[in-house]
Amino acid sequence: MDVEFDGVQVERDNRRVLDIPALRLRNGRTTAILGPNGSGKTTLLRLIAGLEHPRSGQVRFAGSPRPPVAYVFQEEVFLRRSVRENLELGLRLRGVAIAEARARVDDAAARLGISHLMHRRADHLSGGEGRRVNLARALALRSPLVLLDEPLEGLDEHTHSRLLDELPQLLAEFDATTLLVTHNRDEALRLAQDLVVLVDGRVRAAGDKREVAMNPSVVEVAEVLGYSVLASNGHRVAVPPGGLRPGAGPIEFSVVVEDVLDIVESYQVVGRVGDVRVHVEVPFMSALPRRGERMVVHATRSSEIA
Amino acid sequence: MSELLASIALRTVVVSGVATALAVLVGVPAGYAIARRSFRGRTILLGLINTGMGMPPVVVGLVVWLLLVRSGPFGDLDLIYTQRAMVLAQFLIATPIVIGFTTASFQALSPRLPDLLVVLGAGRMRRLWLLAREARLGLLVAIMAAFGAIVSEVGASMIAGGNLERSTRVLTTAIVTETSRGEVERALSLGLVLLVMSFVVNLSLTVIQQRSRA
Repeated sequence: MDVEFDGVQVERDNRRVLDIPALRLRNGRTTAILGPNGSGKTTLLRLIAGLEHPRSGQVRFAGSPRPPVAYVFQEEVFLRRSVRENLELGLRLRGVAIAEARARVDDAAARLGISHLMHRRADHLSGGEGRRVNLARALALRSPLVLLDEPLEGLDEHTHSRLLDELPQLLAEFDATTLLVTHNRDEALRLAQDLVVLVDGRVRAAGDKREVAMNPSVVEVAEVLGYSVLASNGHRVAVPPGGLRPGAGPIEFSVVVEDVLDIVESYQVVGRVGDVRVHVEVPFMSALPRRGERMVVHATRSSEIA
Repeated sequence: MSELLASIALRTVVVSGVATALAVLVGVPAGYAIARRSFRGRTILLGLINTGMGMPPVVVGLVVWLLLVRSGPFGDLDLIYTQRAMVLAQFLIATPIVIGFTTASFQALSPRLPDLLVVLGAGRMRRLWLLAREARLGLLVAIMAAFGAIVSEVGASMIAGGNLERSTRVLTTAIVTETSRGEVERALSLGLVLLVMSFVVNLSLTVIQQRSRA
């Protein structure tokens, strides 16, 4: 089901927190909403879920009323009851018969590897277990619209990486129009097909992830996507993360070295091009620059900024 | 004596029980609304409620008396010196207590929980019920505190009820009466009955409360 924003404006305390004249989220695809903190990402999800209402404009769902949504909140939110009761609650509230609810919950629990937790109190789970139960609850609902608000935020690195590996398959099983809010570029690129970049409540870029991520045309979008925006021959260019290498090249920069860090497999030079802080990876065996020296680097790829 | 004592004890339970029930009916939804919504004057309202939690019963009794006395604005209702007047006075004492504890209990829940229930499809009343179940430890404290406060108060019952032996005398006002007559033993036994009654009610609520912790 397509989700369309038409002239949507949301205000809070007389401040405009969201202003989206037009935006279409495509049916059956996963769209990542990327943006810095406070850019309106969560407000956008809450609007779709019906938890907030626009001051003007509307959100449309392919001409239908708002469908039942599955919403995975940023933090684990559970009733002080067993995992099973928590998982079944949404289905029961939506009028699914007991036997059917039980079967769906068993199915979702098996899929997320939490069958052994079903009798535990949901509010006593560890962070990783809680996230799995959160996701299982969304999966069991089988909603046509799934909203994920930073579902992996705050997890330890190991659990984060495991769930990140499992999520693409899980999203395919949701078989829904999915929105993923994140401020992590890698998460967005790995999990989504489409990207929306939100800055200060406005959509600054939207579309297929390749188009958006490869050619950021404005500074804000480039920065959200992790690009360094640097001056080169009177132009501004965006260099992707890890896109600077030592040595001269067609698009080169002079870096003032601030520090050289031993990161075991290689060295990382921390420095500045003008006012912009950059990181350059230097192979282990190379000659290292010293603090305060200038070092010539080139961009492996770059795109021009308007 | 024992028949009279039984009727006084029963009247005490009925008057304070009805007042507590009414306070819960009004106070729980009000506490829920205050905990959930932000509106202008909310902090002042909470301050007033917290003040009301410690309101002297005798002052409440006086206000009710002024309202219900024959020459007062609601004198035509003919309620003064009746159990209804006592229920009204005790309701006014109990309600701020219920609202205060209820607000704190609902505020202690995750602020995302109501959102979750909306998204899962729970209607307004179902949400209130599910959240009240989540906050039940605190809500039972609210009921115990409210019942405890009004079953043990004497000033409001005395002024609004008039301490009429066959119709509005309750355990606390009976204790005052017997003490003033010099019947200290009878006053003590009435006091014992009041203590036991209060203990039984609170024990029952505590059992429910602690069971629901599991």
